[in-house]
Amino acid sequence: MTVMVERGSTIEPMSLAEIAKEHGDEEVVNREAVFQVNDLAVSYSGNVAIRDVTLSVYRNAVTAFIGPSGCGKSTLIRCFDRMNDLVPGAKVEGDVLYHGKDLYAPDVDPVEVRRRIGMVFQKPNPFPKSIYDNIAFGPRVLGLKGNLDERVEQALQQAALWDEVKDRLKESALGLSGGQQQRLCIARCLAVEPDVILMDEPASALDPISTTRIEDLMHELKREYTIVIVTHNMQQAARVADMTAFFSVEVGADGGRRNGILVEYDKTAKIFTTPADKRTEDYVTGRFG
Amino acid sequence: MRISFQEELDELERMLHAEGELVLRSLRGAVEAVCAQDVELADEVIAFDDDIDTQYFEVEQGIELLLARQTPVASDLRLVLAMLKDNLHLERMGDLCVTIAKLTKLTKGLPPEETLLDGFREMGERAEQMIRVALRSLEQRDRIAAESLLELDELIDRANRRIVNRLLEMGHELEQREWGLRMILVSRCLERIGDHAVDIGEQTAYLVTGEFREFTDASHP
Repeated sequence: MTVMVERGSTIEPMSLAEIAKEHGDEEVVNREAVFQVNDLAVSYSGNVAIRDVTLSVYRNAVTAFIGPSGCGKSTLIRCFDRMNDLVPGAKVEGDVLYHGKDLYAPDVDPVEVRRRIGMVFQKPNPFPKSIYDNIAFGPRVLGLKGNLDERVEQALQQAALWDEVKDRLKESALGLSGGQQQRLCIARCLAVEPDVILMDEPASALDPISTTRIEDLMHELKREYTIVIVTHNMQQAARVADMTAFFSVEVGADGGRRNGILVEYDKTAKIFTTPADKRTEDYVTGRFG
Repeated sequence: MRISFQEELDELERMLHAEGELVLRSLRGAVEAVCAQDVELADEVIAFDDDIDTQYFEVEQGIELLLARQTPVASDLRLVLAMLKDNLHLERMGDLCVTIAKLTKLTKGLPPEETLLDGFREMGERAEQMIRVALRSLEQRDRIAAESLLELDELIDRANRRIVNRLLEMGHELEQREWGLRMILVSRCLERIGDHAVDIGEQTAYLVTGEFREFTDASHP
């Protein structure tokens, strides 16, 4: 089996064995930074939502963003696929480099960005179409080459949904359970061969069994993809993430308004055993506020 | 703020300290029994160990429940793990007191050597002091006090060596030799109690710093 990974400006197949060789025992922080964020600040109509963010998202790892409501973690993840472009009055300052290239450079096509960087949302949002068409939609629009049936099957296999839906591909996706719909959305993401999967609270609307499936899936998928997840569930971050960033809310330098800030970013094991910052400690142990 | 969780943590720590107080009583009884050759008191020490064991099981079960229900992390997790190990160390100290009591019964009627008994009194006091320092440093999250256990341990180790040397100089009468052989084990038990106190100190240092290290490495002294 081969997967598509980017090497420089061209996309070449790379075997899993090669990736394992490259990344098997390697420390996450020594891997290539898929995203490099420098001094990022995002504001909506002049109100700063998050500021002073500098961090790297490493390849073939799960990176979790945790923090209280209003800390800007969803705002940040939306910078990675330029979703904030769609919000009137939104302004992104600082750098977001994707494989070293400025994601916000004038010559970058946001549609191409969103093909390489997929997003899964809190609430499953399948199209009101058949299961098959949900998956086939992206490849058709993008005119991707190859056998469409095979592509649909592979995406559903990777999302651990194939066995449950293979006999009813022509039925409406809306007939699936919430957990199945969410895996369908992940499969839809995978069908266009992305490099990164962003997940904004992907399991918060799901029951514990469906949640476990999504978490298992993240564990599998990180061998081939880079995953960033926003979660309110700290134990979920502790379970699935290799790296964890904790964000908090502080009164801004301008006084009055509250901004999100990055407090601490480290290996997940470190964040949940010996966090360096008192604010992180207070949050993860439930003593926040 | 997780109020019930904090209350459960506090209660577990309180129970652990109560267990420590029981161990101190057992230690005083065991040392007194061996020095006075008091077999009745030795029996009491042996029976009293059930109280320590009961307390040990309650702390153990409380920790199990807390881990299952509250999923502690960071400093809470370190405290729970430290208490899990401290609990075992205290229970072992209780067992060592039982061993001293049993040796007291075995040596009933054999001729004691008074200077050695003075040595046991000294070791008993040092062991008691070490347990108190260990418990207090845990209570106060005091790494410096925890590390001072290493110096106290050196003193009890020296007392142990003095006793062994004295025993080697003792006479060759059969009864005296038998008493002496059994008393080497008593000395060893008291010295081991000191080692367990040091181990509790190491857990306190781990709790405070987040980094575990042995105060001394027995295999690389």
